[in-house]
Amino acid sequence: MRIIRFLFSLLLTSGLIWLLSVQHQLGGKPLPVIGQFLNPFTGFWRNAESSGGPELTDMNIPGLKGKVSVAFDDLLVPHIFAENMEDAVRVQGYITARFRLFQMDITARKASGRLSEVLGERTLQVDRNSRRKGLLFAAENDLKGWVKSPETMAVLQAYADGVNAWIDQLKPADYPIEFKLLNYSPEKWSILKSALVTESMAETLCSKFDDLEATNALAALGRDTFDYLYPEWNPKQMPIIPDTGQWVKKVRTGRRSLSPVYGAIEGKIPADEAATPGDYFVGSNNWAVSPVKTANGHALLSNDPHLNLTLPSIWYQVQLHSPLGNVYGVSLPGTPGVVIGFNEHIAWGVTNVGHDVSDLYRVKWTDSSRKSYLLDGAPRDVEFKVEEIGVKGKPAVRDTVRYTAWGPMPYDNIADHPLRDCALRWTAHDVPELSILQVFLGLNTGKSYDDYKKALVGFDTPAQNFVFASASGDIALQVQGHYPLRDKEQGRFIQDGSISANAWKGFVPWEEVPSMKNPSRGFVFSANQHSTPPSYPYYYLGGFEDFRSRRIYDRLDRLSGATPDSMKTIQLDNFSQRAADCLPAMLNLLDTRALTEEELRIVNELKGWNFRYDATLTAPPYYEVWSDSCYRMTWDEMDIMEKSGTEVLYPEIWRWIELMQTDTTCVFFDVLGTAPRETAKDIVNASFRKMIAYFNNHPERKTSWGVFKPLNVKHLALIDAFSRLNISVGGHTSAPNAINGTLGPSWRVIVELGEQVRAQGVYPGGQSGNPGSRYYDNMLDTWAKGEYYPLLFMKNADEQSDRIVKKVVCSSR
Amino acid sequence: MTKNMLAAMAVIFVLGNLCRFGLPWWTMAPFAAITVFLLPQRSGFIAFLSGFTAGALVWGLAAWLADNANDGILSAKIGELFQGVGSKGILGVTTLVGALLGATGALTGQMAFDMTRTPPKDYYGKRKRNGRF
Repeated sequence: MRIIRFLFSLLLTSGLIWLLSVQHQLGGKPLPVIGQFLNPFTGFWRNAESSGGPELTDMNIPGLKGKVSVAFDDLLVPHIFAENMEDAVRVQGYITARFRLFQMDITARKASGRLSEVLGERTLQVDRNSRRKGLLFAAENDLKGWVKSPETMAVLQAYADGVNAWIDQLKPADYPIEFKLLNYSPEKWSILKSALVTESMAETLCSKFDDLEATNALAALGRDTFDYLYPEWNPKQMPIIPDTGQWVKKVRTGRRSLSPVYGAIEGKIPADEAATPGDYFVGSNNWAVSPVKTANGHALLSNDPHLNLTLPSIWYQVQLHSPLGNVYGVSLPGTPGVVIGFNEHIAWGVTNVGHDVSDLYRVKWTDSSRKSYLLDGAPRDVEFKVEEIGVKGKPAVRDTVRYTAWGPMPYDNIADHPLRDCALRWTAHDVPELSILQVFLGLNTGKSYDDYKKALVGFDTPAQNFVFASASGDIALQVQGHYPLRDKEQGRFIQDGSISANAWKGFVPWEEVPSMKNPSRGFVFSANQHSTPPSYPYYYLGGFEDFRSRRIYDRLDRLSGATPDSMKTIQLDNFSQRAADCLPAMLNLLDTRALTEEELRIVNELKGWNFRYDATLTAPPYYEVWSDSCYRMTWDEMDIMEKSGTEVLYPEIWRWIELMQTDTTCVFFDVLGTAPRETAKDIVNASFRKMIAYFNNHPERKTSWGVFKPLNVKHLALIDAFSRLNISVGGHTSAPNAINGTLGPSWRVIVELGEQVRAQGVYPGGQSGNPGSRYYDNMLDTWAKGEYYPLLFMKNADEQSDRIVKKVVCSSR
Repeated sequence: MTKNMLAAMAVIFVLGNLCRFGLPWWTMAPFAAITVFLLPQRSGFIAFLSGFTAGALVWGLAAWLADNANDGILSAKIGELFQGVGSKGILGVTTLVGALLGATGALTGQMAFDMTRTPPKDYYGKRKRNGRF
């Protein structure tokens, strides 16, 4: 009897322990190991740091050559003072890992297609897509180029060693909370992972293409109609680099026009395929104002890169001081140095360049086995690359990807995929001439315009508009990247991959990428619009912004006596040039004779709208729903093609507005399948009815813009409890303050150059990646309110400031 | 409350706090078992109760201190993650898990003790129930 009672209690105890140590599932998602997770000594409670902030103590970092001191300010920004560059970067790696380890780990894992190793089957498709797109292949090729510079390799290694020094001393109890939740351990850092982080950026910024959609649109519409609907140049466009006669003597390339070779290619792209280019537009603004237009005669520089906003934030602020220079700015966790920043002499910023640098080549197979393809009539074997994707708790999954002379074939595994026989030629796969890090180190330590020019040579992918300003009063902008030399329209449509002459003819020479210095108008700027007017000698194509740039141009052009505050008002400007173009055209065609009182009230509210997407205004939702449905009704022809299983390009919004203004009887305003022949007027009125019906059905949606379309800043692992959701803010993709749902200005910075450099900045998050820290999202509300922090730019380690909360020493014991 | 019960609770509390130094989370149960085996209680129920109280104190106190220092920033988020039980809820769940680990461990210790000792028969030839001499 007693034995039974004993065995029963033993079973009870071990049963409880077993229950608490198994990883259970809840709604398809694995729960953490409860016992371990709740344990107050090693579980999540360990991550509940003091509300005053993390404990900051002296650090023992093996490999340091000299003494390094670090001052943390009241925003938890580390100001690192080292006796040499490598030490500075080693400490940067150590501290970044301390505050952002999960972010670094998951970014490198995602790019290399290794999420399933730790997260299981649910991320298998994401991994497959990353591998098939060749992101790891791209990162490995990066290293082949980077090794050519031993100095930068030493810096990259010092950074990786710094990260690993943090990981080495880390006990499981001190793992970031996400590791505890997802139940895996951080992995050692490496230079390859730094390369993966940059490739992950390249994927976000320059992997978009619509060769298939354009091919199908051309096949369906014929050349004349295609050209009418999809002109490459928007006459209202205000290009980044205007024509000042600098290209007159250049020989124009792209005279030979390539005739498209393919008819319509049917087939839908599977919805779950992340490798498919998204239709979202990530953009950014930057500008520099010359001393002639500023209040105190100093150049001003401003930058706000728009990206998918996440927690932890994309950026990590840091100051690095070494004998080579003193630089402050934001870094990308996982890579050394500063990406957007300033020193005593110069400041720089970036926006994305929309050039298309990824083309699709259709391969001609020798037979149905699809093992070899024809190139100039001769058969060539494809190279089979076997990707082995580890899956937690399951056997590894093998995925074979074909590689051709053009590049990988990302979609060759899906039987009815329209791009099944296409290879991807993408500049990100190329072995770079030099390290992207070399470029940033050159900028970090630069002192003049010449240093800036010199540093940029070799920066290839993702192409960026580098804006520049110096203490000596120079301003400049360079559209820097590795751009394919194309024939006219080459790359606009799917190309024939059986002819080697269809390849790019090389790249635009470094010295001929568009750039300008000290223009007489007194400012340079970019907002992802066209780099140049059509007179630029090299043909290029891509996705370019059409509205923000015009607004920013207007604001800067009118500017005089500029101050950092006037820069802020431009960054925070909610005025939409798109709405200012579109709404009057729509109102002009609206028949108001038979409207009800409430409908007239809405019309009057729209008539009185100042085209600003302010959070408190109630007009923007009406316009948004109306113009959206009007656009869709106009292009019902495209919608029908999509539904019948053919991917097709939609005309750009600027062109659609132009048609409403100038060609109201255009055949595309006719709704297919209805007897009457509709015009723009009919579409505008019908979509107005739709808008009214929408708000009648959803009266709660008659609300202010900030509530109608709130901002969601999501946690990197999409854990809602660690996200900040439903933030009411103003802004719109087509306004300088380009906030849109989950996208927005990921860093707002304004730098005033001069004898004394002064800067202000803010990003929607915090320096700590720990959801249990008050520094996790402490800057988010400031950002949402449109406020900034003065950035503490220290001259030396001994400088006193009441903003410094702790000074610590790093040494190698 | 007997002296033995107080003593057992104190020992479990001290041993339970050793988990601070990296021992696995479940060691609370064997610690409680050993403690009660060496400091047997009047009954299984009393053993269970002493383990429950001590376990609750170990985990509850440590979690409460951490939560207090943190101003509840993290517990609110974890509470939301755990089906919206909230800050206090997650503190309660933590305390309960610690309590149950201590309780079942202590009960097992008591049962093991009962099993190893064969108490003398009393006047009526019945064995004393709880193994105390």
